[in-house]
Amino acid sequence: MDMVTKAKINLFAVLRNLQDLCTMDPVAADMIKNENISVQFKVPNVGIGTLRFADGKCTFVRGKGPASLKLWFTSPEHFNTMIDGGKTIPIFINVFKVGFLLNTFMKLADRMAYFLKPPADKKAELLKDPEYFKINTILTAYTAFNAMAEIANSDKIGKACAYRMFDGVILMEIKGGPSLNITVKDHLLSVGVGKVKLPTATMTFNSMEFAHKLLNGEASTFGGMGSGDFGLSGAVALLEQMGKLLNLVSVYLG
Amino acid sequence: MNLKYEPKKIFDVSKSQEMFKRALNVMPAGIYGHLGPSEGCMIPVQSYPLYMSRAEGAYVYDIDGNRIIDYMCAYGPNFLGYNDPDVDAAAAEQRKKGDCTTLVSPISIDFAEELVSTINMADWAFFAKNGGDITQFSVMIARAYTHRKKIVLTKGYYHGVAPWMQKLGYSGVTEEDLANNLYIDWNAPEQFEALCKKYPGQIAAFIATPYMHGNFLDNMIPVPGYWQKIRKICDDNGIVLIFDDVRAGFRVNIKGTDFEYGIKADLSCFCKALANGYNISAICGAKKLLNATADIAYTGSYWFSAVPMAAGIATLKKAKAVNAVEENIKKGKKLTDGLAEVAKMNGFDLKVTGEPAMFYLRLANDYPSTILHQEWVAECVKRGVFFTSHHNHFISYALSDADIQYTWEVADEAYKVIRKNHPDYEGYIK
Repeated sequence: MDMVTKAKINLFAVLRNLQDLCTMDPVAADMIKNENISVQFKVPNVGIGTLRFADGKCTFVRGKGPASLKLWFTSPEHFNTMIDGGKTIPIFINVFKVGFLLNTFMKLADRMAYFLKPPADKKAELLKDPEYFKINTILTAYTAFNAMAEIANSDKIGKACAYRMFDGVILMEIKGGPSLNITVKDHLLSVGVGKVKLPTATMTFNSMEFAHKLLNGEASTFGGMGSGDFGLSGAVALLEQMGKLLNLVSVYLG
Repeated sequence: MNLKYEPKKIFDVSKSQEMFKRALNVMPAGIYGHLGPSEGCMIPVQSYPLYMSRAEGAYVYDIDGNRIIDYMCAYGPNFLGYNDPDVDAAAAEQRKKGDCTTLVSPISIDFAEELVSTINMADWAFFAKNGGDITQFSVMIARAYTHRKKIVLTKGYYHGVAPWMQKLGYSGVTEEDLANNLYIDWNAPEQFEALCKKYPGQIAAFIATPYMHGNFLDNMIPVPGYWQKIRKICDDNGIVLIFDDVRAGFRVNIKGTDFEYGIKADLSCFCKALANGYNISAICGAKKLLNATADIAYTGSYWFSAVPMAAGIATLKKAKAVNAVEENIKKGKKLTDGLAEVAKMNGFDLKVTGEPAMFYLRLANDYPSTILHQEWVAECVKRGVFFTSHHNHFISYALSDADIQYTWEVADEAYKVIRKNHPDYEGYIK
């Protein structure tokens, strides 16, 4: 596993989920309602991501921006250790804001883990709650597709797949749920939220239930296509490579 | 072209769809591989018949009772027509004598002699079952003969599904599987020459299809002089030239597609049309490779089955008697000229590429999305004309003028449906 790619996934796919968590989950929204702070994460060979908490919202920005608290990591491994819950201390700039990190931020991270990594013995029960099921599925989808883009842009095998992709936009839609658009430009992938009018290819999950199954490795894409739970249209050559990239997500996120 | 016709019946394929649900419980992907809805790019799958009840001539009949003109021909094996009576009679006669037995049938020699006398480059023949068996073997022969490791392939290639034939990132394929592969673009002999300079004395083989008939792309015929340049580079550098004629074999020239393009390959791989659907493949080789081939351990349980060999002999004899290759080329040309005309009459630009008996279709208007083309293909399938949106098609000798006329009518109706379903089609149709 390539540690730089893993760190990119942790920063730009996992951590960015906090903005969606705070939108969908009232508990998370309540945690940040009085916060007004920007936290920047800087990881060598990986890049910079900034989380901004203001007006009861959380926004993730890729790249530099004004930040009241800056966290610098010595290496991708250093950052990955923190995201994986290990005991590690980044380099702080503005120590007066560290309280946010140790308090609200940690609670937010726990809340995200509650949705994305539920304990095995409680998972089945939690998923019976429709609201939990929905947030779990949407966050899993956002993580998977954003991670996929990082893999395409950074991982050796991912780059080989991306090299076979021509320019275009792939629309991923979960019926009854969110849509994402994945842009391929010069063999680099980027992910946006929402539909596009004339996609080059489409990938449609016909229900939240099937999206959940597929994203959690409990169903197959080929089987889903056959049963009508999962539909593809348009440039299959793009979708074929995207499928292979999605397969690589589990290598990094297990 | 007369396109006055009654509206076509839309097929009910519900029994196929129900059957498929049953298969999903006990078979990976229900129908795995290129005949299945996923790799077969059946979009949307609900439009497609999936299971046959019988086949005859140019038609396959599904379990819902629909008659379908089959332009995929089982992805190639249907060459003379499904259940061709002459081929079936020869196979039945051999079956009475024996098929898979401890002692080998002399018919294996008859079939090898038939191939040697038919295929221009052939001094000998070796039999297996599938195309992939022999493309794999061709590389082993080249390595055994040259004592070298590397092989050169053209981008967009398909030579089967062994790990080295697949690509980095494909399930079950490792970097090590691909370690000896080198790649060049199609129609680019100068890139091959550059590789020979970069890896002197290390390249065992150049393997390619006679022309580029890869999926999802316009098929490309070799530019004049291309194969002659490749042949010379191989000769100058001691490299074995392998023709993967698995798909194009007997659809361009009965003497081999290398003959059509003016050269002699060192090894030529055949399958698909070889025995009109009976399961056999063959590799034909130049004399210089005979001993190296003989010393390789390569075999399979059914590779000397006599029934497919009898079918193969009958197929080649009948193909020669009725000029099947030439007739199929004419049928393919007539069909595709008409399809392009029908498209044009409906305001669409249908691009036809490849050799006529293996034509590839795509709508130029919505390229590269192919969303409209996929919908058109699905509308054709729903009316009994089996096309695909991702792969070249095949012509069988059983295809009649009436079938071609019916196909044009279906194509016309399908284009009209697409226009009606897409009032916003200007977004796609440029």
